[in-house]
Amino acid sequence: MPREASLPAAGSLTRRGLLTAAAAVGGTAVAGPLLSACGKKKTSGPGTTSKNQLSQVLPSYVPNTAIKPDVPGVTGPAGVASDALFLTYPSSPVQTVSGTPGKGGTFTAVTPLWAAIPPSSGNAYYAAVNKAVGAIVRVQPADGNTYADKLPPLLAANKLPQWICIPGWNTTNLDFGTAVGVKFVDLTPYLAGDKVKDYPNLAAIPTGAWQAGVWNGKLYGIPVYPSNAAYVATYFYRKDIFDKHGIKVEDIKTTDDLGNVGKELTDAKAGVWAFDDLIGNSAAWCLQPFKIPQKWAADSSGKLYYKYEAPGMLDALNWQAKLVKAGYLHPDALNANNFNGKQRFQSGKVAVNADGTGAWDGNDAKAGLAANPGYNRQAFKLFSASGTPSVELTNPAGIFSYLNKNLSDAQIKEALALANYFAAPYGSVEWLIANFGQQGVDYTMTGGNPVLTPKGQKEVQTTFEFLATATTPVTVQEGMSQLAKDKAAWHADTVKYAAKPLFYAMNVTEPSQYASIGKQVDDTMNDVKAGRKPISAYQEAVATWRSQGGDALRTFYEGIRDKYGTGQ
Amino acid sequence: MAAITGSGKTASGAAASPAAAPATQVPRRKLSRWTRIKQDRSLLLMTAPALLLLLVFTYVPMLGLISAFEHYSIYDGFINSEWAGLANFRQLLSDNLFWHAFENTLVISAVQLVLYFPIPIALALLLSSILSGRVRGLVQSVVYLPHFFSWVLVVTIFQEMLGGAGVVNMIMRQHDLGTWDIMTNPGTFKYLVAAQAVWKEAGWGIIVFLAAIAAIDPTLYEAAAADGANRWRRLWHITLPGMRGIVVLMLVLRLGNALTVGFEQMLIQRLAVGRDASEVLDTFAYYYGVVNNNFSYGAAAGLFKGIMSLILIWAANRLAHAFGEDGLYRK
Repeated sequence: MPREASLPAAGSLTRRGLLTAAAAVGGTAVAGPLLSACGKKKTSGPGTTSKNQLSQVLPSYVPNTAIKPDVPGVTGPAGVASDALFLTYPSSPVQTVSGTPGKGGTFTAVTPLWAAIPPSSGNAYYAAVNKAVGAIVRVQPADGNTYADKLPPLLAANKLPQWICIPGWNTTNLDFGTAVGVKFVDLTPYLAGDKVKDYPNLAAIPTGAWQAGVWNGKLYGIPVYPSNAAYVATYFYRKDIFDKHGIKVEDIKTTDDLGNVGKELTDAKAGVWAFDDLIGNSAAWCLQPFKIPQKWAADSSGKLYYKYEAPGMLDALNWQAKLVKAGYLHPDALNANNFNGKQRFQSGKVAVNADGTGAWDGNDAKAGLAANPGYNRQAFKLFSASGTPSVELTNPAGIFSYLNKNLSDAQIKEALALANYFAAPYGSVEWLIANFGQQGVDYTMTGGNPVLTPKGQKEVQTTFEFLATATTPVTVQEGMSQLAKDKAAWHADTVKYAAKPLFYAMNVTEPSQYASIGKQVDDTMNDVKAGRKPISAYQEAVATWRSQGGDALRTFYEGIRDKYGTGQ
Repeated sequence: MAAITGSGKTASGAAASPAAAPATQVPRRKLSRWTRIKQDRSLLLMTAPALLLLLVFTYVPMLGLISAFEHYSIYDGFINSEWAGLANFRQLLSDNLFWHAFENTLVISAVQLVLYFPIPIALALLLSSILSGRVRGLVQSVVYLPHFFSWVLVVTIFQEMLGGAGVVNMIMRQHDLGTWDIMTNPGTFKYLVAAQAVWKEAGWGIIVFLAAIAAIDPTLYEAAAADGANRWRRLWHITLPGMRGIVVLMLVLRLGNALTVGFEQMLIQRLAVGRDASEVLDTFAYYYGVVNNNFSYGAAAGLFKGIMSLILIWAANRLAHAFGEDGLYRK
């Protein structure tokens, strides 16, 4: 079932990887306002939204209780639940939408896609979905890897489609706080409070996900792939290789423990190394074990510090530089090629890597088993540098779809009715149609789960999901039910350590002149983690960052905290 | 001998400007503009599509350069964006990272000029000395081919061969010979870049030089051979002078492009060697302009580069004229 797998591709960009990548950049858009120091743009309203305002704009939450998973999610101390587990598709799917939602309208919709673009003419899947919804939704998937380059011209030339999906990480540099006001429909009048009850599947999307779609006190975004408990990344290991070396994974409780198995797992002459890159781009991979915040955190005195300044940052860089020096890292690991990173792991050239949690899926197992019949990817139970693990949650939704401001009132209502259809939960009649098309044409039920036919594999890609999605549970892919069980169990365990970060699910509009000050720190980080520069170079880069605007940003965020709270 | 050099000169003049050669044979008449247009109408018609493309895709977009003088916002457009005057340029010229990128660009360009530029000429000379048409065709096709590879592919091939886990290093490792970290060594990156450029483009670069050699009158060689000139003397006195005009023209064009040292090539290898070794003007404009939607800053960096390139090409052309060559156009 290439559902999850059809999204991924760009290295870490698996479905969940997408979510988490989005969250790694936070719900932060860069725009001109708020700081008086910003002389370059007119201010366009507040930097974020207060709790009080939120309560007035957020839709009510009415979960769907008709569909029961095989293993329900576990709620952790942060009040968020792990993903539920379905081992088979419910045998009698529930109807969640009565009648035909559409009124025959036509919508063009642009969505990102990390896979081959399916044919648009003669596509039975598109036809089946359009027939079911009673409208013509002309999806125009665009390459997800270059999506960021596509957006500015669309926005600047006023060539926006009627409906567009924009991942959170693409909004960071789009001055999005301004964009939403002039380009997109304010959904507050349609969805706030109990109004959302006209769209029951939208009402079943958790509040946090909606909250991340609020900009400047108004609701604009329809959540795509909302998730309760999601994380930036985690460390994976090849259980088959660990077993062969007799390494007990239970003994790995700290980052040093992990480093210590490097010698055993490395055999450079055979072209095998223990580790791939463990730090990642801008430290994305190593946030959790070294307790580095995704963005901001507060020290014991309440002063904010950025991830660059986190004490764990130096430890992480030293840790990896030491592993590089010892020769335990694959020589290509630091050459940036995440694509190959997956291959290296699947082919057993490395035994440990870091990735978005979505990397652990049926498609990965299929590719890995093709390379090695014993292939077994497992995620480490959380460990840390200190021995007491914890992990920050990412935003409850990282991708949103938006409606064009030119739409009429009737069109907006029709689009929301369609969104309600696309957001039908797993286990419903509508989910199967929206995600798999027509049974017997694009998919068949095999072993209790939908599996794409050869025709379906050409036609069905993640398209309509990018307009609205229900919370996605863990499901069986490629017939691998053990994988699904392992994954759900890992999520259930991990949620115990999960905590909300500062400014959780808040869209903060940052002053734009600081947009690029982090670049030189990230560049230096790459030099240090590869052992090209000493750790002191990193410290200097951070000092430069502070003087170039890091300190001003700190003041800015402290102001946000004092005025709007932390979102926790 | 005197006869040879004398006629050699004429030949070199003809070869140096093959396009202009037929024109010199036609006696120049003073014609009115309209007569000239009428006379050349089919030629003008044939150039029209190219001119149109140039206009639409090169000159019209140049109007966008105004964004370098604005705080351009995609929501306000060129007309309504706030005017910045020279603020972007002031910021640019006080930006250490920019100057670092500029320096890298010049260094890489100089290394490429020395290491890359002579190679297609040498290759063309070698190829032209192969008598068998079949062998020459085969060699030519083989050396052309990499030109059609993308940079991603070229870098991947280098990585597979010379990378830390590549063929060469694996063999060295298996024989306890240590490793050769050429792909990740920031110090030698400029040579690596030049080597990749040679591998990819040198074969393609020989085309124009081969044409220049082909335009040399073969009777000159026959006469020289009859006079007892050996291979080297023929090369020195006939072939090289015959190519000189084209070599100078290519050099002038090359200098005009000196600040364009490859964008993808640098982007792809940035993490392998780090920013300090790989940041050039184009990647600078990309990372600090385009990526952050700070188009004005990127445009300022691009405009700066454009002006520097214009100065370079003008200077190189002047130099060519000073040496009595045509350069870009006949003086």
